[in-house]
Amino acid sequence: MRRVRVLIGILGLDQHEVGAVAVSRMLRDAGMEVIYTGRFNTPEMIIKTSIQEDVDLIGLSCHSWEYLYFVPELMELLAEKKVDIPVVLGGSVITPGDRVNLTKQGVAAAFCPSSTDHEIVEAIKALAAGSG
Amino acid sequence: MAQHSRSGIPLKPVYTPEDVVNLDYQRQLNDPGEFPFTRGRQRERRGGWIQRQLSGEGDPSRSNQQLKYLLEKGQTGIDVIGDSPTQACMDPDHPLAVNTVGTQGVSLCCLNDYRELYKDIPLGAISISSSVPAAFALPGLYIVAKENGFPPDKLRGSVLQAPFYAEDCGYAMWMPFRLRLRLSSDAIAFCARETPKFHSFVEDTYFFSEAGLNAVEEMALGFVELRHVVLDVLNRGVDIDSFAPRIAILVNCGVDFFEEIAKIRATRRLFARMMKEEFGAKDPRSWAVVITSHTSGLSLTAQQPVNNIVRGTLQAMALVLAGVDALEISAFDEAYRTPSPESHLVALRTQQVIHLESNVAKVADPLGGSYYVEALTDEMEKLIWDMTMEIEAKGTPAELSDSGWFRTFFEERMDRYYSQISSGELPKVGVSVHIVPDNEDNLLRDVVELKIQPCWAHVEHIKEFKRNRDRNRIESVLRNVYEKAETEDENLIYPIMVAMESGASMGEIAGVLRMAYGFPYDPHGLMESPL
Repeated sequence: MRRVRVLIGILGLDQHEVGAVAVSRMLRDAGMEVIYTGRFNTPEMIIKTSIQEDVDLIGLSCHSWEYLYFVPELMELLAEKKVDIPVVLGGSVITPGDRVNLTKQGVAAAFCPSSTDHEIVEAIKALAAGSG
Repeated sequence: MAQHSRSGIPLKPVYTPEDVVNLDYQRQLNDPGEFPFTRGRQRERRGGWIQRQLSGEGDPSRSNQQLKYLLEKGQTGIDVIGDSPTQACMDPDHPLAVNTVGTQGVSLCCLNDYRELYKDIPLGAISISSSVPAAFALPGLYIVAKENGFPPDKLRGSVLQAPFYAEDCGYAMWMPFRLRLRLSSDAIAFCARETPKFHSFVEDTYFFSEAGLNAVEEMALGFVELRHVVLDVLNRGVDIDSFAPRIAILVNCGVDFFEEIAKIRATRRLFARMMKEEFGAKDPRSWAVVITSHTSGLSLTAQQPVNNIVRGTLQAMALVLAGVDALEISAFDEAYRTPSPESHLVALRTQQVIHLESNVAKVADPLGGSYYVEALTDEMEKLIWDMTMEIEAKGTPAELSDSGWFRTFFEERMDRYYSQISSGELPKVGVSVHIVPDNEDNLLRDVVELKIQPCWAHVEHIKEFKRNRDRNRIESVLRNVYEKAETEDENLIYPIMVAMESGASMGEIAGVLRMAYGFPYDPHGLMESPL
């Protein structure tokens, strides 16, 4: 069976990277393959890399409010290009209230600072299995 | 079980005279105000320290209001940071920037912005610091001071220099190493001539240590950078004593109370010896480094944000006991946003309570002579210096930057930090221990979760400003910057100042500088070069 492949990246000019590196480590430890795109991505770039790398899931680390504007753009582009890859967000600036709004926009899951490693890993496994 | 400090120094259950048996008071400590300045830069703590809070939000006029609010509440200096585009030398009208204009700092891209930022601020009376890229912040402040009748040679304050690690962690400017180094050295040489009282060279170890570095790694990388920049400035024929008194180090303060104090004391000693013995500085002021400080933002948690007030207080206390010259506390809502007026005020009040009520700053270096603190200071000094030499032996900073060595170093530390938290090795209250469910974690939520919108009106304002400029004039001043950048012996701050005075923007100037060094005008390929 193929290992789960996850893209981890950061949008726009958000320069905080510790969280993205941490989540990458967490997913690798759980046996997944991580394609790490680092900082300074546009929605367009995220989609392009996701297709090229044939990932099962797009994971975005959010530590600035830019995601509020980039995520709707990303979801629209995915729909337009008929790309069916689940999008998962996580980060310090995501509140329980934001979670509800994000799910409405089609985001598969969003994790707040209080989410545990176990919760994140299990949710990603389940989503990736569904998207395969 | 053996106990260790955050940097891995083994700790004994108790320290005794045995641990300082070789301590030579005159040589290693001496009185505050005396070489090697371990115990502090000055004999007396006149007035304590500069109390300020990192500021900047929205467009320049909103930030101006914020500065006035803090000064009115008793702040004794100001420090301004730009939003992400500003820190990256990008204009607010850049397509990648528009969603974050003014949300993580102030938007500053042209001279008018600086005029609005400093409007009615007593530039001559207080210390004016800036965490905005120095090559632009300096000319901005210089011109505004002149226009308002403050002689620049009387200006006090500081600008950060972050030439080495910015691309690898923190605010990337997409500039080659040589250009970043040159802009720093040019800024320092400019200040030595034009603003002799201004601290032109703040070695900022804070921002890169927030990648999860320990205190030894923070200072070792700091010394690698500081030493290289000093050598580069000396190579231009600038006299060491004309700029060394204006060097400051902006240190982080993490959670390990005594280790942070020992770090600062060891740093002052190392700096003094290096300046006197290695660089041959003769002026005693060149030996005594100014230490400015921020409490750690990384140490703060999104969970139970009220606990961050306690963390900030503990860290500020450590910094005051270590005798820092200026202090900023990362506000309790740091994990979510730039400081709200409420969190700004709590942080400032924390400083004021420590200063006015606790009496801890009445006596210089109150921990001097403690068996533990002196043993730890010696150990930190040794570890910091060994690591500095070890890194220097691996290659020049340019080589280590270009080969990705620094980048790997930072990635490994970010990874380690996460592993330490998640394994419980580094206990974090509210994160790894003493957790409460989200529905019980309500205190101060209304403050920390309040979002601010990007300043789209300012984006439109800048677009209109750009449209109404004299195109030929802009092209000619930018061409001048480009041509001066092609010759290594020109100080770039002067042509940058002329360009800013003529209405050119930071994004445009940074773009043509990149071009002169063979890099694309816009690293994202979304803006066209005016040349």
